[in-house]
Amino acid sequence: MNAGRIDDGLEREVAALIAREAMLLDRRRWDEWIDLYTEDAVYWVPAWANEEETTTDPETQLNLIYLRNRGGLEDRVFRIESRDSYASVPLDRTVHLIGNVLVESANGDSVEASANCLVHVYGKKGAATRGSLYDFRFRRVDGALKIARKKIVFIDDRLEGPIDIYHL
Amino acid sequence: MDGTAYRNSFRDLVDDRVDEGVFRVDRSIYTDEAVFEAEIERIFEGGWVFLCHEGQVENPGDYFATEIGRQPVFVIRQKDGSLGCFINACSHRGALLTPFRQGSARALTCRFHGWAYDLGGRCIRIKNEEGGFSEPGFSRERFNLRRIGALESYRGFVFGSLTADVPPLEDHLGAAARWIDLLAGQARNGLEVVPGSSTYMIRGNWKLQAENSVDGYHVTTVHRVFASTISNRETRDATTGMRQTESGRIKGNVPTGAYDLGNGHMSIWALHTTPHVRPIYESKDWLEENLDPVEADWILNRGRNLYLFPNVMLMDNPSTQIRLMKPISPDLAEVTVYCIAPKGESAAARAARLRKFEDFYLTAGMATSDDVAALEAVQDGSSGRLSRWNDMTRGLSDLVTGPDEDARRLGFEPAGCCPDWDHEGLFHGFYRAWLDRMENGAR
Ligand code: FES
Ligand SMILES: [Fe+2]
Repeated sequence: MNAGRIDDGLEREVAALIAREAMLLDRRRWDEWIDLYTEDAVYWVPAWANEEETTTDPETQLNLIYLRNRGGLEDRVFRIESRDSYASVPLDRTVHLIGNVLVESANGDSVEASANCLVHVYGKKGAATRGSLYDFRFRRVDGALKIARKKIVFIDDRLEGPIDIYHL
Repeated sequence: MDGTAYRNSFRDLVDDRVDEGVFRVDRSIYTDEAVFEAEIERIFEGGWVFLCHEGQVENPGDYFATEIGRQPVFVIRQKDGSLGCFINACSHRGALLTPFRQGSARALTCRFHGWAYDLGGRCIRIKNEEGGFSEPGFSRERFNLRRIGALESYRGFVFGSLTADVPPLEDHLGAAARWIDLLAGQARNGLEVVPGSSTYMIRGNWKLQAENSVDGYHVTTVHRVFASTISNRETRDATTGMRQTESGRIKGNVPTGAYDLGNGHMSIWALHTTPHVRPIYESKDWLEENLDPVEADWILNRGRNLYLFPNVMLMDNPSTQIRLMKPISPDLAEVTVYCIAPKGESAAARAARLRKFEDFYLTAGMATSDDVAALEAVQDGSSGRLSRWNDMTRGLSDLVTGPDEDARRLGFEPAGCCPDWDHEGLFHGFYRAWLDRMENGAR
């Protein structure tokens, strides 16, 4: 693939990767999910600063989740798999639906894309549907695209139930 | 009140016979509509509640919209720098006046028919006034906004009451004031509320959130997984310095304590095993030079949770926070968490404080989510009325009435002391204050 060009092949590859992530979360294939991320991946869910804007600087402002390497994802999976987390037993069921995937730019090994996601959750408290805006940065590692950065703007502002990695 | 639910006496809901080894509460206090209606009227709308931090309304025109009980109010910084608090409803036909939860305005202009109010709540403009209020002697004064009954700050924390018939705020805070001092006093340039907040709903009664915030007993069960997750992480990443989480308290086996501070206020503390990883530790020298040594020691070495009756928690643990609670119905409450931090702390301390906050204190984090699940389980269990009582006698034989040595040294007068945060004697004070307000009304 030529650096800098967004062709159909790249668009398909990106869309498949985002869909694959959603599938792995819904099917609780946590280890394969983590493998989609680079070692130094940043996973960021800003908090809302007010009704219209999220926080913008994750270092100096509050976030809902801000993980600065893949270990942060491993922590979440460790907690889920421990079966010792009150909020995670029983585990909520989820269905992620991804849409509007757009490759925004491609530069060498780095690709940026955005997508929308609706997550239908069913759990102890019944069902809910929640929306998120995704911004990805991918990096090609040994030929395969990996997630190097994922920013999730979770549009709900009055959170019902726990919000863990599989809810987002 | 819609007439569906009313009751007059609540005395039988708190079985307070400590002399006989009994202290228990009827589980219907978490589920009963009539209890809830009385709580709104007599507790939330009948006395002091926490409103906001002064940093949230710093400059003239800054406002913060919230509720007292079910009534919308806003706190505003007035022109002369003092604070005002008004019912958040236009004097015309009642529209809310604040477009945002928090904002800034030169005047509050109602977006319905365009009436406007100055920062002191005076009605300063009526759209087409001449065409509608032409009677002689008409004055806009009659449409000034309605001020709440009482408004006072203590060290930057703003409290209000719908009724004016309340004791001075310092009397209401009583022994708890000294605990606010520990939070406010650690910041040489004052405290600020960090941008961003998170609001979550609990399908549980507000009193369960109150109990949970000062329940040391659950920590080694509900947060066991947090402690193991963090120690796993810190081994894996070889975490050092301020980024380390202070999880010694969660694993247990450190000195702890709990206080019934009177008037329904409660607190717990636990000794930090690794105080040097706390963000405040960079101020150690300043604290030790400028504060009373006992106070500095408490700030640096003890994690503390303070619950102020009825609606706010001030925590100073791995991170520092305001946790504001609004009762919605017997089985629903809304909680908003803010990170509060010393102004001018180093970037490294601020980042560490925020990351610890995010790890633990949010429903998107790895501990508060488990707390919420636990207290919702209590809510659900409380419908099992055939088994009527929640027991709160743990540690009864060790319960001390009046101050212990620690309290005397720091200088506060608790109503009761528990030598271990696993004990439940602090809840006696909470439920005695609760019952007193429920029986005797506004305070
Ligand atoms: S309701 Fe505010 S101007 Fe009419
Ligand atoms: Fe907890």
